[in-house]
Amino acid sequence: MATLEVKDLHVEIEEEKDQTREILKGVNLTMNTGEIHAIMGPNGTGKSTLSQTIMGNSAYHVTQGDILLNGESILDMPVDERARKGLFLAMQYPAEIQGVTNAEFLRAAINSRRPEDDQISVMAFLKELDKNLELLDMSEEMTERYLNEGFSGGEKKRNEILQLLMIKPSFALLDEIDSGLDIDALQVVSKGVNSMRGDNFGSLIITHYQRLLNYIVPDVVHVMMGGKIVKSGDAELAKKLESEGYAGLRDELGLDVSLVDDNR
Amino acid sequence: MKSAVQDYEAIKASVEAAANEHGEPHWFVDRRLAAIDAMQDLALPQVQRYDYHRWPLMDNMDLSWHRSDKALADSVPAATDQIRFVQVGQTTVAINLPDELDEQGVILTDIFSAFREHPRLTEKYFMDKVTKADENKLTAYHQAFLNAGVFLYVPKGVTIKQPIEAYLIQDSTVKQAMVSHVLIVAEEDSSFSFIQHLNTKGDEQNAASCMVEVLARANSNVHFSSVDELGEHTYSFLHRRANLSRNARFDWAIGVVNDQNTLGDFTSELIGEGAHSESKVIAVTTGKQSNGINNRVVNKGKHTVANISQRGVLLEKSELVFNGIGDIIHGASGANAEQENRVLMMSDQAHGDANPILLIDENDVIAGHAASVGQVDQNQLYYLMSRGIDKEQAQRLVIRGFLGPVLEDIPLPEVRQEMIEVIERKLEDGQHFK
Ligand SMILES: Nc1ncnc2c1ncn2[C@@H]1O[C@H](COP(=O)(O)OP(=O)(O)OP(=O)(O)O)[C@@H](O)[C@H]1O
Ligand SMILES: [Mg+2]
Repeated sequence: MATLEVKDLHVEIEEEKDQTREILKGVNLTMNTGEIHAIMGPNGTGKSTLSQTIMGNSAYHVTQGDILLNGESILDMPVDERARKGLFLAMQYPAEIQGVTNAEFLRAAINSRRPEDDQISVMAFLKELDKNLELLDMSEEMTERYLNEGFSGGEKKRNEILQLLMIKPSFALLDEIDSGLDIDALQVVSKGVNSMRGDNFGSLIITHYQRLLNYIVPDVVHVMMGGKIVKSGDAELAKKLESEGYAGLRDELGLDVSLVDDNR
Repeated sequence: MKSAVQDYEAIKASVEAAANEHGEPHWFVDRRLAAIDAMQDLALPQVQRYDYHRWPLMDNMDLSWHRSDKALADSVPAATDQIRFVQVGQTTVAINLPDELDEQGVILTDIFSAFREHPRLTEKYFMDKVTKADENKLTAYHQAFLNAGVFLYVPKGVTIKQPIEAYLIQDSTVKQAMVSHVLIVAEEDSSFSFIQHLNTKGDEQNAASCMVEVLARANSNVHFSSVDELGEHTYSFLHRRANLSRNARFDWAIGVVNDQNTLGDFTSELIGEGAHSESKVIAVTTGKQSNGINNRVVNKGKHTVANISQRGVLLEKSELVFNGIGDIIHGASGANAEQENRVLMMSDQAHGDANPILLIDENDVIAGHAASVGQVDQNQLYYLMSRGIDKEQAQRLVIRGFLGPVLEDIPLPEVRQEMIEVIERKLEDGQHFK
């Protein structure tokens, strides 16, 4: 079993030169493999910031607290090392890279986890690739195209899940993997994530819609507001939020947080 | 300076003797001698914002004949039924031309055999129609000291599906300049692609003067790619020029990945109405290397289309200057010339420049340019690294992405792959010395 712990995490971003703003204001979260956690919360509250900080994006500065993977702090590790240790982030806005095929990229990612003298064979790679393409209802042609280049929004999301299935991390952070997906694609993507479920896999799913959580049923649901996790519960919490909205929860908890909607 | 003139007289005498010993036709020997005369007054080619006048590009003024060891061509990938020309130094190692092309009148032979066996074609076309010996000092030097090369002639209406590959290997096991000429004549309605590989074997310091002339007649369709991979002891001058007649289509796809200083001067001249040329160049520089590249298109004919796209990557303390020159001549109404010159700086000690130069003497045209000098896209780098790929490999992949638009254009997948590998190797070397 692997564990990912976020302890009293404070994160700042640099908005302009010498102008910083604190986005995360003391996040605490512990998850183990075998568990699926969901994070919901209003726009701009710091959900993507949390996932990017865990992954190691250098735009986000940790000013206080720690992130531990199996008890070891990862704050000093570069992004690639964190990835090789078992973290994966399906990004809200995946990058496009012309000239590098999807298949070549996937092989490089897999091989980066293997010793120099034991790289994956072409046969083994293609076998695994075909299996996952089928699961995600993707055509082989997608893997010969350049990485995310010209992919539709939905294709990009599917491609993030394909990477997840190929790389097999211990923890996957999925940032709005459902946004922009049609209903069929939502089911396909959920099927992909569910196929990973098991003792050696944990996931933190960021979403705005309870609907996704009907397909990927979470063990724990967290609500984030104003840069903190303000409430955690089971799958029912997501349903409650869907019907009552964030303002209701905020008032119930007596929080002093402004929501984008309040300005309307 | 009296002594210099005397030197030139002595050089002429020895060149004449060597050319005669080589059994060259009179017209060509005369041209050599005229070029030596011309050299004395001609200036070096102009490359804006770039200084190369101290390079040893013409140190070797000795014309002599040397048989090279064929084993130096062992690194050329084995061929079964490719169309091939392989030359090491001055020695032609292999010519592979299918019989049916021979029967259709296609000529693929070394340049000196061509002078002897096809005088009518070569006297008319060699450095006379497309490029001239008296263009500058370096072109005159080339004419005077020519010692290697290949001639390709594709008759009217002939389409060659398979690409024609030329491996031109500099023999630097001996002290001798490589003065090599590729002359291509594409007659009306012909269609083919030509791929050139330049390499060096041996560690002597030698210059290379490599020229390409392409005459693309009306309605012909010619694609030229080159993987330039000359060695670390070779200062090179690469002069390449194409002339396009009416409705001809001619493209360059050039990868400049030499290991020493390179002066590149590439031009497409669109003379006939409706001609179209795409000129794509990639360059990668490492160490203390310096590359200066002029990529020029000249719109002369009406409704001609000439685009330039250049991408360069600089590592360590290297220098790279890309000049994109768009020259639209008066009368070329309806012409279209777009250019894009981009360089990527992988080191803050490198010096890169991307200069669009537009010379437009006609109103009814469309012309535009984009240029940039930038750093690696951090977002792309982060994305790749977030999948476990280490920083150096991720950088190389991002660079590949940056070069993508030009790599794309190389017609043969194997050559594209070769280019990628050469670039990758060069980048790796550059990264390790950082
Ligand atoms: N790289 C960045 N540079 C500048 N500001 C940033 C950056 N990343 C996040 N922010 C700011 O931090 C705040 C939190 O953003 P974040 O993307 O984490 O929110 P979110 O909860 O994921 O929102 P959404 O639901 O809209 O995706 C926002 O105000 C955002 O503008
Ligand atoms: Mg977000």
